Amino acid sequence: MRLVEVIVLISTVLAVALLITVGFEHLVPSERVRPVAEFYLNATYNQYELRNYTAMSPEAVTAIVWDFRGLDTLFETSVFYLALIAGLALTRGLLLERAEKSGHGLSIIVRTVTRITAPMIVAVGASIGLHGHLTPGGGFQGGSVIAVLPMVVIVVFSASFLVIKGVTTTKLLVVRSLGLTGIGLTAIAVFLVGITLHMPAYVFQNMAKPDAQISMPYSVAGALISGTLWFFNIFEMFAVAAGFSIAFIALMLARTLESSRGE
Amino acid sequence: MLEAQLVLVLVGSALLCLGAFAAIVSAIGFHRFKNFYLRLHAATVGTIWGSVYPLIGAALIAITISELGAYRWFVPGAIIVAAIIVLMLAPAGSHALARGVHRARVARVKPCLADKLDPELCG
Repeated sequence: MRLVEVIVLISTVLAVALLITVGFEHLVPSERVRPVAEFYLNATYNQYELRNYTAMSPEAVTAIVWDFRGLDTLFETSVFYLALIAGLALTRGLLLERAEKSGHGLSIIVRTVTRITAPMIVAVGASIGLHGHLTPGGGFQGGSVIAVLPMVVIVVFSASFLVIKGVTTTKLLVVRSLGLTGIGLTAIAVFLVGITLHMPAYVFQNMAKPDAQISMPYSVAGALISGTLWFFNIFEMFAVAAGFSIAFIALMLARTLESSRGE
Repeated sequence: MLEAQLVLVLVGSALLCLGAFAAIVSAIGFHRFKNFYLRLHAATVGTIWGSVYPLIGAALIAITISELGAYRWFVPGAIIVAAIIVLMLAPAGSHALARGVHRARVARVKPCLADKLDPELCG
């Protein structure tokens, strides 16, 4: 038995070593950049040579996700919204029962530490979301970090704690819908300005294009906001945080009610 | 100034070595200890001695890197905040694990001298 284990271990190590040796050229990115990538890297923050194509954001991923291919991201967000609506529809009977009894939760040590770290979680999430156009991260990632808080609170205090404190799924759904409305309004903001001023403008336009010279302000009082990207990130952060919180609350509350019925 | 930097680098390196030693001790204990609660104790040695002290050591070393300019104060700030958070969260997490396992009576205390909380779990 021991011999078999040793043989399996050694052959696994050798196989991985062989894979790494063979695939080395593909594992390590080459210095050559493909023409499309080269264009995006040049255009993402470039107010001199590519003035009509830039997104004015030093973070190329956010620029691609919310500017160059923004329509894709809008539909990804709507798919997530529809999945959430389906989940709420599935648990609607359980959620209507108002949870009254609060459980004991974990010990006082864990509850105190949770109370201290709760604002830190929100601060880290907000920092990731609001700096999405400057550093890696963005609205979705920041919102996901904020959504860790209701999960921790549910585990540490009790499943019905949030509902008793007034954080109901209905209110969270309102926040979620407001976030999505904000995303939609940001997408057509420049277009609406163009209609009002009788100038050509596109839906999902951020900076000025060759045939549409309207553009969002890329900085406010010296702070770079990259036009629409900052608004997209902040609305997406609220929408995602509320969305994941709804999913966690619905699942955990449904599970608790189910197990208390079984007893 | 140079002597102060040397002292900071030496103290920081000592803390890093202490962290590496504690991580090895923790890994050995995690592998060899007899029951769940002892293994949890070994794991906590790894989180406090093995990550909080090396973090502080790295902060002290980062202060001395003059090439970073003003940013050499940002790095230690972030590191020390991270160390404080680990210092708070790791004991709370292991406490919650041990309490939950003991109350759910999942793991027996074995070998056992005395278990005042739940004598039935002893041995």
